Amino acid sequence: MRLLGECCLLTSLVATGYAAFLSLWNVGSKQPSLSRLAAYAAFVGFASISISLAVLAGALAAGDFSYKYVADYSSTLLAWHYRLAALWVGQAGSLLLWAWMMSASALVLWLQRKADSELCRTAFGLVMGNVCFLVAVMVFAADPMAPSLTVAREGAGLSPLLQHPNMLVHPPIVFLSYAGWAVPCAFALGALLNNRLDNTWIALARPWAITAWTLLGVGLLLGAQWAYQELGWGGYWGWDPVENGSLLPWLTGTALIHCMLAWRHRDCLKKSALLLAVVTFGLCNFATFLTRSGIFSSVHAFSESPIGWMFLALMGLLLTSGAMLTVRRRTALVGSNALRHVLARETLILGSVFLLVLFTLVVMVGTLVGPLSKMFTGRFVQIGPAVYNNVVSPVGLALLAATAAVPLLQWGGPPTAARRRVLVGCLAFSAAVVLVAGMAGMQHPLTLAVIGLAALTAATLSASFWQEVRQRRSLPAVLSGGRRKFAAYVIHLGFACVALGVAGSSLGTQRKEVTLNEGDTLEWAGRQIHYVRLEQHELPDKLVAEAVLEASRNGSTPVELRPARHLHLLQNDWTTEVAIASTWRGDLYIVLHAGLGGGQVVLSLVDNPLIGFIWVGGVVTTTGAMVSAWPASKRHVDFTSSAPQTCSEEPRAAAA
Amino acid sequence: MSPGIKLLTGAALVAAAIGYLAFLGAASSWQYYLSVDEALADAAQLEGLRLRVSGRVVAGSLSIGEDRRHAAFELAGDSHTLQVACHCLLPDNLAEDIEVVVEGVFIGGNVRGEKVITRCASKYEPYEATTTYDNVATAPAT
Repeated sequence: MRLLGECCLLTSLVATGYAAFLSLWNVGSKQPSLSRLAAYAAFVGFASISISLAVLAGALAAGDFSYKYVADYSSTLLAWHYRLAALWVGQAGSLLLWAWMMSASALVLWLQRKADSELCRTAFGLVMGNVCFLVAVMVFAADPMAPSLTVAREGAGLSPLLQHPNMLVHPPIVFLSYAGWAVPCAFALGALLNNRLDNTWIALARPWAITAWTLLGVGLLLGAQWAYQELGWGGYWGWDPVENGSLLPWLTGTALIHCMLAWRHRDCLKKSALLLAVVTFGLCNFATFLTRSGIFSSVHAFSESPIGWMFLALMGLLLTSGAMLTVRRRTALVGSNALRHVLARETLILGSVFLLVLFTLVVMVGTLVGPLSKMFTGRFVQIGPAVYNNVVSPVGLALLAATAAVPLLQWGGPPTAARRRVLVGCLAFSAAVVLVAGMAGMQHPLTLAVIGLAALTAATLSASFWQEVRQRRSLPAVLSGGRRKFAAYVIHLGFACVALGVAGSSLGTQRKEVTLNEGDTLEWAGRQIHYVRLEQHELPDKLVAEAVLEASRNGSTPVELRPARHLHLLQNDWTTEVAIASTWRGDLYIVLHAGLGGGQVVLSLVDNPLIGFIWVGGVVTTTGAMVSAWPASKRHVDFTSSAPQTCSEEPRAAAA
Repeated sequence: MSPGIKLLTGAALVAAAIGYLAFLGAASSWQYYLSVDEALADAAQLEGLRLRVSGRVVAGSLSIGEDRRHAAFELAGDSHTLQVACHCLLPDNLAEDIEVVVEGVFIGGNVRGEKVITRCASKYEPYEATTTYDNVATAPAT
């Protein structure tokens, strides 16, 4: 089977390369037979990669340690789902999965070809080129089918920290989003190469961009939730290079989606949209470079291999091509509408895009300070989270303010007098909410500002929706006619929720370390925490020690909490299993650090106010994004219209 | 002043403000991240500075307090070792013969540690088991 997997990998290298070459060569000549041949080659490539993936998955499931990959990442002691998850935990396996997802994306793209064959052929060729690159990296530098040099009867197993439900889905979702970002990039380059700089590429790329953006957002949140539940430090985001690497394309992707909107409605921000499409996918490759180049001396066990530099080279090639083509087409990319008013919707989008790009630069520079300082001064310098935290507060507040204002603004001009009156009403509501929050004990000015802006967002979104219902006199007509607009409102509401959770949990968190004996009760953070007993038992793969606690607030029914420490027998490693009691007001987060004998334990207590809003906001945002990304019916799709919208009360063609 | 100039001026001011905030954060939080050998080579210059030192916990040198708030061990580089004394909550998987990063103050060629970080078993690197299934009975119990 290993030989079959190896042969399929080589076949896919040839097939995907051939498909890319034929597609790109055929753009000028437009021969249908060549186009069909390219599609057949792409299908052969996809089938070959699928077989290789199935071979590796089968080896992992069967515990065939003759594969080096299986010996390195799997074990017979692992549950079957974690054995399968080992498929994307290692370098070679994750590349194989990524290549498979990207080749599947290319085939979906091929099915779209009738929409605009020239643009789709180019995009298809570019995506296939990328698949070929990934397969080449595997064949020449990270072979998932490599044989094990020693005869192993047992594998090293999966790190206990990665044995978490989120790790079953987090990496595939992130790779799926990276595969998705390749398509808008390919459409942007295709539009530039073919000089097709009307709205067509946006109509084709938009669903891909929103889907990839949603998946990346979900991936980031799942990773954050994993860190929160598994690492036992009470936080969810540490500004680590791994996290920053995935955040970068999400930030530029957000900017890209808004630029696409401005292009479609007002024929402006065109160069920004094209460049951001290329930059976003470039940053996906940059993230791969960060984690696989070995340039970081960090607490993370980064992989050290030459493949990181291959991804950096690809990013360089993409950015250079995108920049050169944009410069070449600069006269065709001059927008037909200048920014007319500071309170026009497109001006707000321009400001938000600028802030997002600025923040991206800060995160990128901050991430690279270490390797750059090592290169220029000989000493590796690390900077702390203060750099990002200092910047994220003003940028986040400004973006939240823009999110709150945007429903009441219009394209091409200032808001009408009626909308200004509505805005005043919303501001009054927001001020009242801040007052109530202040009286309820929220004291930090930043938390109050975020609460006020989140309330303002909810109010302006509701007011805008209500106005629309009153105008059309029919709720179904509003929901079907303005599906994407209202989906965007839901996404913005989700963003406000996430901001609320981030502000509350970052600024209002409390921590305490305690040593308790069985039967002790502690009053802390408005809660009564009673330590009942220490329990110890043995499972097939680990020893478990857990403290049984009961937490209640103001005499309410106590909630049982069981923070634990696990000794994983295979790795002889201890891990901490935190216990979390969640309510809408916040989490009580308890970590068991040590047992001192006689039932005495050392615990860390963390009170994280409002943190649940982050996960709720994630669900709300994802729901809105899924509705927004859902393809419009054919009568709504206009691939050729490039007429920008003129100044209007409200864009009605939201579905276009 | 034309709208373009106004826009550029505003953007420059915002960028400068954001850059300044980032600089303030960097100035207050930066620290060297060195290997044991690098730290000892520049011991005189690093005296009294906060830094992070990475190395391997020397086998037989680790002693951990019962409450897991104290630890002392030797940290080895390629050719030198230094003494670490920590007063902090210790990570679960602190053990001998593993890679760790110690954050603390460099004094007299040794480190007074305030945080010990074991290298996170991140993605893409095979896991290095520290023992086999047979000798797990000797593992410390909670």
